[in-house]
Amino acid sequence: MVSKPLLRFIILRIATYILTIFTAFTFIFLLLKSMPVSAVENILAGLTVQGQVIDPKAIIELRNTLYEVFGLTGSPVEQYFRYLRRFLTLDFGPSIMSYPTPARELVMSRLPWTISLLTFTTILSWILGNIIGVLASTTRKRKISKILVGLSLTLYPIPYYIMALVLIFLLCYLIPIFPLVGGFGAVSITDVVSLIKDWLYKSALPALSIILISMFGWWFLSSYSLALNTQTEDYVYYAMLRSLPESRILKNYILRNVLLPQVTGLGLALGGIFGGALLTEILFVYPGVGMLVYRAVLSGDYPTALSILSMSIIAIATATLILDLIYPFIDPRVRHR
Amino acid sequence: MSRTISNLRSILTPLTTLIKTNIKFSTGFTILVILLVLTFLSFVAPPKNQHWYSYPKNLAPSLTSIDLILGTTANGRSVFWTLTTAIRNSFLIGIITALIAPHIGLIIGIIAGLKGGIVDRILMFITDTIIVIPALMLYVIIIMILRPVISMYGDPIPFMGLIFSITAWCWPARQVRAMVISLREREFILTTTLSGNSMLYIIAREIIPHLLPWHLINFTNTILYAIGSESGLAILGLSILDKDTLGTMIYWMLYYSALFRDLWWWYITPIVGIIMTFAAFFLISQGISEYVNPRLRQR
Repeated sequence: MVSKPLLRFIILRIATYILTIFTAFTFIFLLLKSMPVSAVENILAGLTVQGQVIDPKAIIELRNTLYEVFGLTGSPVEQYFRYLRRFLTLDFGPSIMSYPTPARELVMSRLPWTISLLTFTTILSWILGNIIGVLASTTRKRKISKILVGLSLTLYPIPYYIMALVLIFLLCYLIPIFPLVGGFGAVSITDVVSLIKDWLYKSALPALSIILISMFGWWFLSSYSLALNTQTEDYVYYAMLRSLPESRILKNYILRNVLLPQVTGLGLALGGIFGGALLTEILFVYPGVGMLVYRAVLSGDYPTALSILSMSIIAIATATLILDLIYPFIDPRVRHR
Repeated sequence: MSRTISNLRSILTPLTTLIKTNIKFSTGFTILVILLVLTFLSFVAPPKNQHWYSYPKNLAPSLTSIDLILGTTANGRSVFWTLTTAIRNSFLIGIITALIAPHIGLIIGIIAGLKGGIVDRILMFITDTIIVIPALMLYVIIIMILRPVISMYGDPIPFMGLIFSITAWCWPARQVRAMVISLREREFILTTTLSGNSMLYIIAREIIPHLLPWHLINFTNTILYAIGSESGLAILGLSILDKDTLGTMIYWMLYYSALFRDLWWWYITPIVGIIMTFAAFFLISQGISEYVNPRLRQR
């Protein structure tokens, strides 16, 4: 079943995967190492200036962690491997802003919020964007298709956080459906129904902004142009000459071929989820990973920020790996001989 | 002299054709001209606008004077003059990045495409790796570390351009490499190689002219990338907050919760500014790509 060339492809691909992660990691390692030595002392000094009371033992522990992360102790080889261990286990020691909770635990507690929001919006906008894109390209002479294309051409270049700001203006200020000042406050887990209601209410605007931008921005435009190209293919022309029903041409001849490259994009987008939608979460005060990064940055919490960065690098690299591995199963034309 | 004129004409002719024939390009170009006029207006902005509370606070837009045409902010500055300076600084960041990153991309792309083999593998591997790292997060970490030293070496605005160049060269490099690989196989390249021309001559006379329009598109896209990254960082409070850019304008209006205070003119101005900037450059790059790739024109 698993042919020899396929096996070789898999092994090579996994090797590239490991190499990619290593290189990304080395890049960050060198970057941190090239920072001024005083950076760590600055961070620690900043803590005492803020008037946070941390006992001396904690300060020493923090200093040790930071020195390791910034590559300031031991020989270069030692530094590299010590940092590598932290990178792979996402263990960057205790978080500074909520000492002594480990940074990793902090990240894990925020992940469900981000994953639930972004998985839902990514998949929904992927499905809708592709379907609307293909439909618009088959009916491209109609007025509605032209309006859609024009709309998405204007939306596409705009950064997503600008769209978020526009939505806040429209839906919180002009037509006040949502509260102007977000903020979760304490979420009570006592009542499941109210939790879900609360979640839906709070997620609605961020979800809407992500869906609007990524559906009309990217998925729509790419599937539209892919479908345009597919329609000029000989096999579609032939299918039309055979006077196959239009729905069948659309489904089996066009949509299927459009979806193939789009699956790659979906995988990459899903891999990117772990980084959180940084700005969307901050603008809508959504308690996800992006918000955590923001708070970590504001309070100079390097352990937390670094563990989120490492996690998203690993996630994106893994997503591309999985995609490449399952691609031969989705696309029968890809053969590894 | 006549050489300069003919060179100038070779630039101006496509430009006028584009403006006349391509509606996307001409729209984009018009918006850009408006923005450039605003940029130049920033040089005559009253110096007192640099300071807070030099105007009455929270004034609604009124046509009584040019200072108040877009109202004033909660920290007593004229929104209009702040906008002109903001556009100038944002453009500066964008152009500095665009002067660095696409050129690095061009060089790396040409080397990778022409040399092939192991050089190509290594260069593309580095490129792909940097693409894997989430750019915004990377900038957040870099700036978090560098913030104390940023303002120590003179004007911090060009510095932002340098930082964005770290990742901005990757996509241009990939694209240029793909173009070079297909160019390499063409007959005219073979002909000049067989004519005994040197590698540098071939690159300068045969390859770069083919890449030029794409390079121009990369140039405009990089401007957008840098302006977008800067405003993203600014919203996080990680840009140079005491300088006016489109991003820091958004930061301050969010910081003072402009909407909550009913200062809609302050809220909407930087957003419209960014949308106009993006629309202008995007339409221009679309226009150029339709000009060089006629297949895109049939819609």
